[in-house]
Amino acid sequence: MSDLAELLKAKDASIDADDDFDAINRLYMERGWGDGLPIVPPTTERVEQMLAYCDRPWNEPIAKIAPRYGEATPLRLAANAVMAGCAPNYFPLYMLAIEAMCEEPLNLYGVQATTHLCAPLVIVNGPVVQELGINSGHNAFGPGTRSNATIGRAIRLALVNIGGAIPILGDMSTFGAPSKYSYFVAENEAANPWEPLHVERGFPKEASTVTVIGAECPHNINDHESISGEGILTTIAGTMGLAGSNDVYYTSQPLVVMGPEHAKTVANDGYSKADAKRFLQEHANLPMGKFSKENIARRLRIRFKDKFGTAGMDALVPQVQNADDIIIAVIGGAGKHSAYIPTFGETRAVTRALKRSDGQLAKSVEEFRQR
Amino acid sequence: MSELRKRGLVTTVICSDPFIKLGTTQAKVFGTPDLPLVKIPHPLGGLSLEQVEGRSLVAIPQVVKLIQEHMK
Repeated sequence: MSDLAELLKAKDASIDADDDFDAINRLYMERGWGDGLPIVPPTTERVEQMLAYCDRPWNEPIAKIAPRYGEATPLRLAANAVMAGCAPNYFPLYMLAIEAMCEEPLNLYGVQATTHLCAPLVIVNGPVVQELGINSGHNAFGPGTRSNATIGRAIRLALVNIGGAIPILGDMSTFGAPSKYSYFVAENEAANPWEPLHVERGFPKEASTVTVIGAECPHNINDHESISGEGILTTIAGTMGLAGSNDVYYTSQPLVVMGPEHAKTVANDGYSKADAKRFLQEHANLPMGKFSKENIARRLRIRFKDKFGTAGMDALVPQVQNADDIIIAVIGGAGKHSAYIPTFGETRAVTRALKRSDGQLAKSVEEFRQR
Repeated sequence: MSELRKRGLVTTVICSDPFIKLGTTQAKVFGTPDLPLVKIPHPLGGLSLEQVEGRSLVAIPQVVKLIQEHMK
């Protein structure tokens, strides 16, 4: 445990202000520190409560956040977690999510600075989901649950305040997206007929993990009529075929969010998760004639010269290059819906487990609490 | 580019107008606040080949000037 009073003596480590909600919010808005919503003032006492759940030195960076490559120290992250409204016991999982999204394969620089509208999506698995009450069911991507809302918001605040993803200066997104306020969910493992996402990605079931994806917003897939696995998968594949998706041009890993009812229908028909991915990869495509002449000439025929260099307009262009690269997660509540989430394209998903400083898997966030 | 700049080579980054602020900010991040930026009109995507040539005609004199200044 570090000495907070000592750390705050460093240059620019803190500002003096009255603990006045309106005055502090005015100050933060004037300086552009935040996401535009009011913040909880990060007083010394509140930041210290957050850091009570940190088992590492408070001023040593755990990651550098692009595009500014600002140093994400526990102290800075704690201030942002307070500002977002996090409960102190969320802090270990929040730090893990930040570490994971700064891993090289995710290409956070691209995800942050691009004109595309992607944002880092975090999917949580394992016992921590129940411990922190993270919503994986009805409205998991929407409002109503403190952990989803505030950990997701704390991530965005760190991406802006530490990483410099400030519109025009470090975030060139043409549109932005509502997912840039908060994009944090859990997998509905209880309703998942297959192995959970983190187990599929090589972690023990008892591990608590985050999987981060440089993702677009969810696009709904309605299928109230299909009663077969093939039927559901055909509808999903038909929705995945997009002419304007980044994923077409990269070896990308788009996300198929299966609603529990759709997943059950597919699994009951004998499809393993790998079978479902193969079906989707084979059927999620568009005839080349659905692409514009310019995109055919200047991208498809050049980037995929071997396959489409001289192909006709009825040649099928896949949405995803490799079946294994399709990520399937089961999220949501009752209803005959799934969702498709394309990605930035030039990004790979990263999964990291919640571990104590001694390297052992954490069974509970309480193991991080300093006494 | 910043690394090349630090090695003393003639270096620039070509930016279309809306990306000048991003370029300036990133040059500071990477320790070369004086990295010259060559400015061309936006957009760069979705252009005909003739329009691309037009952009290059805007960029080339700026690049030549940088080289001449370096040679002095």
